Amino acid sequence: MLGMAVGLFAAAEFYIPAHEVRIIQEHLLQWGLILAAAAFVLGGVNILQVNYPKIRRREEDWGFKLVLLGGAAVMGLVGIRWHTIGEDPTNGTIAVVEHATESGALIRLDSTRADTLAKIDGKRPIDLGAPGHVTEVSVAPGHHTVKVYMNVAGYGDLAEEVDVPAGGVAAVHGDLALHWGPSGRVYTWIYDYIFAPCNATMFALLAFFIASAAFRAFRARNTESALLLGAAILVMLGAVPIGRAISDFFPQLSDWIVAVPNNAGRRAIIMGAALGAIATSLRVILGLERSHLGSD
Amino acid sequence: MADKPTELPEDRTGKRPRDLPPANADQPKSNLPGARSLKPHWTERLATFDRRWVFLAMAIAIVVPFFAPLNLPVKASPRVRALYYSVESLHEGDVVFLSMDFDPASTPELAPFFRAVALHLKRKGVKMVLASTWYAAPPLVERYIREMVDRPLIGPDDTDYKGPPDRAYKQNVDYVWLGFREGKEAVIAAMGNDLRATFDHRAADGTPLADIPMMEGIHQLKDFDLIITISAGFPGTKEYVQQVQSRYDLPIVAACTAVSTTDLTPYYDAGQLLGLVGGMGAVAEYESLIGKPGLGTQGADVLNFGHLVVILAIVFGNFIYFAGRRQRRKRGQ
Repeated sequence: MLGMAVGLFAAAEFYIPAHEVRIIQEHLLQWGLILAAAAFVLGGVNILQVNYPKIRRREEDWGFKLVLLGGAAVMGLVGIRWHTIGEDPTNGTIAVVEHATESGALIRLDSTRADTLAKIDGKRPIDLGAPGHVTEVSVAPGHHTVKVYMNVAGYGDLAEEVDVPAGGVAAVHGDLALHWGPSGRVYTWIYDYIFAPCNATMFALLAFFIASAAFRAFRARNTESALLLGAAILVMLGAVPIGRAISDFFPQLSDWIVAVPNNAGRRAIIMGAALGAIATSLRVILGLERSHLGSD
Repeated sequence: MADKPTELPEDRTGKRPRDLPPANADQPKSNLPGARSLKPHWTERLATFDRRWVFLAMAIAIVVPFFAPLNLPVKASPRVRALYYSVESLHEGDVVFLSMDFDPASTPELAPFFRAVALHLKRKGVKMVLASTWYAAPPLVERYIREMVDRPLIGPDDTDYKGPPDRAYKQNVDYVWLGFREGKEAVIAAMGNDLRATFDHRAADGTPLADIPMMEGIHQLKDFDLIITISAGFPGTKEYVQQVQSRYDLPIVAACTAVSTTDLTPYYDAGQLLGLVGGMGAVAEYESLIGKPGLGTQGADVLNFGHLVVILAIVFGNFIYFAGRRQRRKRGQ
C-alpha cells in the first residue's frame, strides 16, 4: 500500500504544479538519497557475507577475495576524517617581531614539509624548498595576506592576514596537517596511484581487443552484416580528421548515417523501452509485480 | 573406470618430447603421388595468425603520432559549433552548472574537453558550480580544479594563443565545488527540485551555500544560465534529459565519450541538447573553435591511425574470409 501510494504520488506530481506538492516531492527525493547512501552499508555487509566464508574455506580464488576485503577495509579506514577527531590540527604559526630589520619589512617563510608553496597577497607561488629552509621576501610595511599550502592534495593550509610594521619581520612557519577522509592525502594517493591507473588500463585495453575483434569477427556474412560493416567504416572515417582529408564526403555521409538511420533506430528503442518501463512501473505500483519484495 | 582418451604426452613447456613420432606420422606424406596436401591453405593460416601482431599494429598506431603528428586540419561539425555558440553567448557573471560524471577510464576523452571549456568559460568571466553523480569522480575533479580552474590556463609561453586571457578562479567566489552525491537519477531529479537541499546546503569544503555570494538566487537547476554535462555513461547526460531537461526546460549542452555519441544524437536533434561534443575528435574541433589546440588535437592524430588500423583489420579479415570461402568451395567442402 505504501509503495503504491508513493508510486502514484511520484507519477501524479508531474501534473500538479502546486508548491505543497513540490515540498512533499522534495522530502521523498531526500529519503531516496538517504536510502541510496544506506545501500552502501548493506553492500559492505553483503560483500563480507559472501566473501568471508569462501576465504575461510579456502575456496577457488580465495586470494582475490582476500584482496577485495582488504582493499575495502583500507579504503573504509582511510575514508574516515581522523584528523577532525579531537583537537583541530594547526597548520603552523605566524609571529611578528618588531624592529628586527633595518629597512622596509620582511616575511620569513619556512615549512616542515617538502613541496610547500606560499603566496603573498595572491601573487605568484613561491617554492619554500626543503624542510627547514628559510625564504625571505621583502614587502612594503602594512597589511598582507599569506597563504602556505602543499603542491599536492590532502593537507591543510595556513592562510592568514598579517600586519608587518616598518622594520618588522613576520615569521611564517608552515606545519601543514595531514588530512584524512575522501580529500585526504592517503585516499588521494591510493586513488591517483592505484585506482586510476588500473581503471584507465582496463579501458585502454579495449583498443587492442576491438582491433583484434575487427579482424576475427567482423565479417560480411550476409546483407545485414555487410550493411553494418559498411556503415561502421564510413562512420569511423567521418569521425576523424583523416576522413575529411581524404574527402568531405566522408564526414557528410557519417553525419547523415548518425542523424537519420541511427536516430530512427534509437528513437524506436527509446520509445519501446519507455513504454516497457511504464508498463513495469504500473505493475509494481499496482502490486501485480512483487519480485522486488522477495515474492514470486 | 572409463578409459581415458589417448592423449599425446607433453613436457612442461607444452612441446612434444623428441623421441615421439610426429602426430601425423601415420598419414600419407604430401609429396606422395595422389596424396592431398596437408599444408593449410594460406587463408587458413592468415585467419589463425597470432593476434599479437594486431596488438602490435595498434600499439604502433597509438605511439607513432605522438612523435610524428600529422596535424591534419579539423573542421567543426554543427553539433560542436552549437555547443561553442551556447557557451559563447554567455555573459560575464553568468553562472553555469557543470556535471562531472566520469572516472579515470574516460579521462583521455573528457579531460581535454573540460580543459577547453574551462578556458572558454574563464576567459568570458562566467562563474561555475561543479558537482558529480559518479563516486569515482571527486578526486579527479578536485585535481582538475587545482590544475585548470585555480590557475590560469594561458601562460606566458602560450604565444600561439590569440584569444583573450583567462585568470585564476577563487573557490567560493568564482566557482563552487559541491562534491558527490549517491543516488544516481534521484540526485539529478533532486537537484532539479532543490539543489541546495540535495547538497545539505553546503559546498564540498563545508562552506554554507548561503554564505557564498555567487550562489545568490540559485536554488534549482533552472536558475543556471547553462548546464554542461560531461558524462561517460550512467548516470549522465541521458538521465539529465529524462529527469530534468524536459520538465524544467533547461538549456543543456553535453560532452560524452565517442561511444555514447549515437545514444545522445536523438536528444540533440530534438533540441533537448543545445550542443554535443562526442569523443576526442569532436574535442579537437572544439579546441579549434576556441583557438587553443590541446590534448584533443593531439589525440585526434592518434585516432586517425587507430581508426585506420581497425578499418584495415576489418578489410583484411574480410578479404581472407572471402578468399577462404572461395577456396573451400573449390575443394567442395
